[in-house]
Amino acid sequence: MIKLFLKNMTPWYFLIPIIVIHFIVIAIPSILSLALCFTDWNGFGKINFIGLDNFYELFNDRVFKLAVWHNLIWTIFFLTVPISVALLGAFLLTGVKRFQLFYRFIFFFPFILASIVNCLIWKYLFHPKHGLGPFLENFGISLFTNSPLTQKETSLFAVGFVDAWHFWGFLVVIYITAMYQVDETLYEAAEIEGATKWQKFRFITFPMIRPTFVFSVLIIMIWSIPAFDYVYILTGGGPAYSSEVLANYLHFQAFRNMNVGYASAIGAMMFIYVFIVITIFGILRRLDWEI
Amino acid sequence: MLKYIINLSMGSLFSLFLISTPSFSKTLVTWWNWGNEGSDLAVTITEDIQNRFNASQDEIELKISFKGEDVNEPTRTALLAGAGPDIITSSGSTYVRAYYDGGFLKSMEEYSKKYGWNKQILPWAYNLGVFDGEFYSFPKNYESMVLFYNKTLFEENGWSIPQNLSEYESLAEKIKSMGMYPFAYGSSGWQPTHEHLVGNYFNTYVGPDNFYKALIGEKKWTDKEFVEALELLKKHMLDGYWSGSLENYYATDWDGFSAQFVNREAAMLPIGTWGFEIMQAFSDKSDDWAVSPLPIISKNGGNPNYQLSIGGTMSINASSENPDAAAKVIDWILSDKSRVLEFSAKRGYAEWLIPLAYEASDFEAGADPKVRDYLIDFAKVTGAGDYGYTTWTFYPAGAGTHIWKDMESVWANDITVTEFLTEQQKLWDEARNANQLIPIGKR
Amino acid sequence: MSTISYSNRDKIFNHMILILLSLSIILPIAVLFFNSIKPHVELGTNPLGFPSEIRLMNYYDAFVKGNYARVFLNSSILVLGTLFVCIPLSGLAAFSLAILSPKGSTTVVIGLYLLVGLSIPAQLYILPLFIMWKYLHLNNSYLGLIIIYSALNAPFAVFLMRSYMIQLPIELFDAAKIDGAGPLKLFTSIAVPLSWPVFLTSGLIVGLAVWNEFLFAITFIYDDSIKPMATILFSFSNRFRNDYTLISAAAIMMALPMAILFILFQKRFISGLTSGGLKQ
Repeated sequence: MIKLFLKNMTPWYFLIPIIVIHFIVIAIPSILSLALCFTDWNGFGKINFIGLDNFYELFNDRVFKLAVWHNLIWTIFFLTVPISVALLGAFLLTGVKRFQLFYRFIFFFPFILASIVNCLIWKYLFHPKHGLGPFLENFGISLFTNSPLTQKETSLFAVGFVDAWHFWGFLVVIYITAMYQVDETLYEAAEIEGATKWQKFRFITFPMIRPTFVFSVLIIMIWSIPAFDYVYILTGGGPAYSSEVLANYLHFQAFRNMNVGYASAIGAMMFIYVFIVITIFGILRRLDWEI
Repeated sequence: MLKYIINLSMGSLFSLFLISTPSFSKTLVTWWNWGNEGSDLAVTITEDIQNRFNASQDEIELKISFKGEDVNEPTRTALLAGAGPDIITSSGSTYVRAYYDGGFLKSMEEYSKKYGWNKQILPWAYNLGVFDGEFYSFPKNYESMVLFYNKTLFEENGWSIPQNLSEYESLAEKIKSMGMYPFAYGSSGWQPTHEHLVGNYFNTYVGPDNFYKALIGEKKWTDKEFVEALELLKKHMLDGYWSGSLENYYATDWDGFSAQFVNREAAMLPIGTWGFEIMQAFSDKSDDWAVSPLPIISKNGGNPNYQLSIGGTMSINASSENPDAAAKVIDWILSDKSRVLEFSAKRGYAEWLIPLAYEASDFEAGADPKVRDYLIDFAKVTGAGDYGYTTWTFYPAGAGTHIWKDMESVWANDITVTEFLTEQQKLWDEARNANQLIPIGKR
Repeated sequence: MSTISYSNRDKIFNHMILILLSLSIILPIAVLFFNSIKPHVELGTNPLGFPSEIRLMNYYDAFVKGNYARVFLNSSILVLGTLFVCIPLSGLAAFSLAILSPKGSTTVVIGLYLLVGLSIPAQLYILPLFIMWKYLHLNNSYLGLIIIYSALNAPFAVFLMRSYMIQLPIELFDAAKIDGAGPLKLFTSIAVPLSWPVFLTSGLIVGLAVWNEFLFAITFIYDDSIKPMATILFSFSNRFRNDYTLISAAAIMMALPMAILFILFQKRFISGLTSGGLKQ
């Protein structure tokens, strides 16, 4: 009996070191912080228990609702644009022998750069005085006469674009490695039957890389929840909250507005997102999608 | 002690040759300031304050560290953990208030009496650091919003500084018709820039007397004058007074509006006195600049005023082990007015202008006469009671962030001016009930 | 390896799209590079183009002002330290999830736990973490930051490694077990040698993340002598203004070591991802 118990414990011994570190660094402080969501702590003084007041206030908070909506748009944007471009890039790369390593390196390059550097580049390029706007104006094209980062209608997508610009090369690398695993004879068979490129992609490549694809979807959905640095650096959530996302609003409330209790309540609400994502994947697993 | 041993072993493990030898015989006083390591600001402060102080005596070793653009975040986090430097820098009254409420500041009442700081520091500035009758902090810089203008351009066209709203608007139209922006300004890189404009319109349209009444709760923010002021600001903003359009205003940063003003793309620059730094760029231009108080834009005009503002404060950490030594450092800084001016001149009078009672004789012979005249004028005008208020010095935390953050929503037509001011009033009421207001001297 | 065969016309078409995609990356980075070798005064007149006068002194200035030699060393210590802690421990965990308990409830529980961990914004827990670190005397030290970085990067490393190890032929492990090898022996003598490409790949990704990290670095380090690389970009800006030429030069110098590493390891980097998440 004891032996059996020990045997079952073996997997845990291997897990414990990293889990303990992770638990100390992330779980414990997060739980401590979440406990503050029932208080009005300003980050300095006394901590007063105020029950659910923060949550009542959240539900009337125009900015919070905007931020929830923007996080959703952000996720959808990342699930469509970078994924399609990366699939296209990776699929085309598999058909290219010459310069393949070169292309791959170029696509991956922005991923190597720090977020501050990427933001610096694009803030500069979007600038209405010296960026792409005046440059295109020389050719009679009035695009970007205003920085898309400073317009209410476009700011969220402009920030998303910069983040995606840096990120999609990473997806290319993941997809292309999966695509190389596809059995060549399948393509040969399709060739004989006169399949078009799209048909080959649709009926051979895509089903074969599905596990990797699902993995990328999961990672994107998870990473979209705490999206912060690009918003913070490029727009600070503005103008007029048009690019506000949850993590940036949390940061603003905790560090700028001295509303730590309220910020914790935002954090607590963010977990709902997490559970939705995880539930979706739980269902997919049930449906026997290997992740 | 344990901490010391651990730190030492960490240090020797990972950075054998990086640790500089500390001097054990002297009392160490640490001080955190804003700015980035290696920046011009950091170099000046290190050389002119840290090194000169250390050379002036041999009991205390002063060590100034630079914590990046936002000194408040690292300071707050450290204070909460019971750590932090001996001398605390904050970016303004709101933080001092919060630090005081949290019990993180040591009363400097005793030192103030002993060294006579209460007589050295200008009364309005001194009072901002007095909480419940004791002195806790003093401004290490004072500022005001002023109007820089292209003097040559104004003379060429026979323009003068407007005296009321209609003159203001007609001047703006004239400048626009010449293909220039009336004002160079922009908020890129510093979102709270919007509050400068709000404050300007409150002081020059509503007027300081009414502004004061609202600050102390005798008037409501939703009163007609304030609504009108912000409607006017919105109209002017959407008319492109600042950098041509709202979008350009959002996209323009410090370098951008400096260039606009210096290169005649804009005729005026309404900015804090930290803008004196920009004027150095005129040295190789044929144009000349001048500075004046902000024009009064109420319908019937009035006396120009200077807004009272402090940029950054200094206090002693309540958990400091060497408060006496820290006070000595502070006294060394305050005791020599001409030395303060000498530091400040190096920073274009943008920093380190401690609000002391300067006289003409305190200035070096080579001091910029325009700056000197401004400083003397500031003392004269404010001395006569013509002073206004800045939001970032006199607003409590919540209202102080709302005033700039949600201003964008007004300009974007997401909310009305009245809705905006109703929220302001609510935030002020909350702060007033929670006793979190900033001390405001009687007018 | 398999490739799709294309006609010549198709190949040209492929290259055209790939070149377009490449240009969308190369051009913005070229602007950054041009700015890094431009005299500051030329920025106003020639913001995007190749400089009329090349000023390599920007690099020297950024090197000296940003104290590059020191921050380079500091960042290297942080990267190596994190790799030293994070990669072996993540490897152990991945081995446990992939080989020791591939279908067990452990995998589900730990997998979920790590996923949730990935989705928590740092702004939520950075304050309490700082206070904890203060009491543990881990503030302002390499070790404190290394532990944090290990925790932050562990989930991704574990997922990546697990998806690789799960492909390893289980028969090898069964055979070794019959020969009397314990689980640790299975790890060191079979799992590690067979899956070293994924160790390298996760090492590169984790190293990159640490190299570029700055939120935790500026919060937890207050001694300038141990500041890492990412913090120097700010050395060239004041409260309101930026020196673009120096920042660009510093940005290039910051990216260069990582770019070199990725060029050197490019082929191996890919092989660590190969069969990642795939089950043949």
